[in-house]
Amino acid sequence: MKRLVAWVAFLVGGAVGPRPAVGQGASGTFAEGIRAYQNLEFGRAAATLRRDLARLTAAGAPAADRVQGLVYLGAADLFRGRRDSAVAVFKRLVHLDPRFLPDRLVFPPEVTTVFDSVRALTKTVAILVPPDTQVAPGANNFGAWVVASSFQTVEVTLRYEDGAPFRSLYAGPIGDSLRVQWDGLDAAGQLPPVGRVLLRVASRAPTGEISTILQLPLDLRIVRPDTLDWPALPPPSAFLPERAGGRSAVRALLGGVLVSGAVLAIPSVVGGSGGPSGSRVAVAGTVGIAGMVGYLLHRPGRPLQANIRANQLLRDAWQQRVAKATAENARRRGDVRLAVHAGPASVIQPRAP
Amino acid sequence: MRRALLLAGLSLLARALVAQTLEPAGIVSVVSTRVRSQLPSGTAQFSGAMVGGNGTLSFGRLQLAVSYVQGKVDSAGVGGPGHDLVEGSVLLGAQALPWLTLAVGPHARSYTLTSGTQRWVFWELRARAAAAFIGSAARGYVELWRALSADVNVPESFDHAQGGEAGMIIRFARAPLQARVAYRMDHTVLHGSLGGTRLETVDGLVVGFGVDWH
Repeated sequence: MKRLVAWVAFLVGGAVGPRPAVGQGASGTFAEGIRAYQNLEFGRAAATLRRDLARLTAAGAPAADRVQGLVYLGAADLFRGRRDSAVAVFKRLVHLDPRFLPDRLVFPPEVTTVFDSVRALTKTVAILVPPDTQVAPGANNFGAWVVASSFQTVEVTLRYEDGAPFRSLYAGPIGDSLRVQWDGLDAAGQLPPVGRVLLRVASRAPTGEISTILQLPLDLRIVRPDTLDWPALPPPSAFLPERAGGRSAVRALLGGVLVSGAVLAIPSVVGGSGGPSGSRVAVAGTVGIAGMVGYLLHRPGRPLQANIRANQLLRDAWQQRVAKATAENARRRGDVRLAVHAGPASVIQPRAP
Repeated sequence: MRRALLLAGLSLLARALVAQTLEPAGIVSVVSTRVRSQLPSGTAQFSGAMVGGNGTLSFGRLQLAVSYVQGKVDSAGVGGPGHDLVEGSVLLGAQALPWLTLAVGPHARSYTLTSGTQRWVFWELRARAAAAFIGSAARGYVELWRALSADVNVPESFDHAQGGEAGMIIRFARAPLQARVAYRMDHTVLHGSLGGTRLETVDGLVVGFGVDWH
């Protein structure tokens, strides 16, 4: 019977397995063990695959690199008649990758049936999260996919590093997969006061006992955008004098006196003999009055309305820039984001009672 | 070498002229004129209003000034006959300093009398100082001139002539308009063939209004 099964395994698995394009075919790491399996040398296949798996595990290779070796090892053990060992290997495989299914074109039903039964009884999950993401606390949510090996009840929680509860995200049954969400806040609706929390998924066996705990660390960082600098007040040199100085007034008065004097002095300068002239006095008087009016118009300390208006425009423009910067800074202060970095997941096996 | 220097000088002058723009100004004036003629035989005095205008065309530092007035002056006091007075000048000036302009050109005056027309032509050198003294709205100016030569069709021979004008020009802020009020006087000395001296003095009040695109 064992030989018959081996032949079936060879006919089915061997015909398909060697194809390099097939995911569960022979690959570089496990090529020797898979070749031995395909040659029905299950003992040598098991030994070789165990050796290669031990080396990969010691090297900390990711689960995806080990699943292929595990499925062949389980199949080899099964065909060697070591069912318990095969179940243990398949259980290990399910823990590594709850989504894994053996290729039914490669492995015979004897193998896939055992694997399916192991998978159905093994209550474990995988957590899929983006390695780095940013969320706006309270607005959009940090999401994680929980993928189950089989129907089970899970509790998804966020915990402090010491294991104390931080937020409960979900508790209930899970069939194939479940998306859990976190709004980035703690139980009081505030930003997280800590830099790291643990996303923990506890799987319960049908008996109600916790069968597996999977957790991964989430490093949290509150990102506050830089605020704008306060706009600088225009330099004093940019402002025009708002009060008249005395220079213009003196110039007006002096100019009026000089021109008036020149008008009156013309006859003596040119040697004219025109005698007294009312028009000369009228012009001199007009110019003199104009000078006095100019003095009054430009008197020292007189407010210069044009300059006052120009300066006010300058101040208004600065205040508008200040208001704009204030509004922008308020917006930026409110635009707090939470950067989440997910670390590697680890499995915690609860102690047996 | 000299040709090269001349060409370089002309080139610089041409470049300076190209960079300038023409700035015309024109003003219509009413001149209250008084003519006093002192002869050995006695003094005759005339007065009257004359109307005319003057215009300037500035081009950088160069300035061309043209003036023309005419009117009738009547004998003052005794009620004798009056006569027509026409006066004009063409002066080419240059701005030596921002406030000082020197000009040269002919200045002609004619009296139409019953006995004939007296023509007085002076070639003058003028110096005019002007500066704003009430903000930029009012400019005061003083102008003095002296005749370099004269051509007069009167029996007396020309000795010398000089004159002056002082006043102010008000520019309106919101329009290219200007108003002028000034007092002017010129004085001519002539010698008679018999030893007498003739003194001609013309003075007047100038009130004008015009445009200025400076």
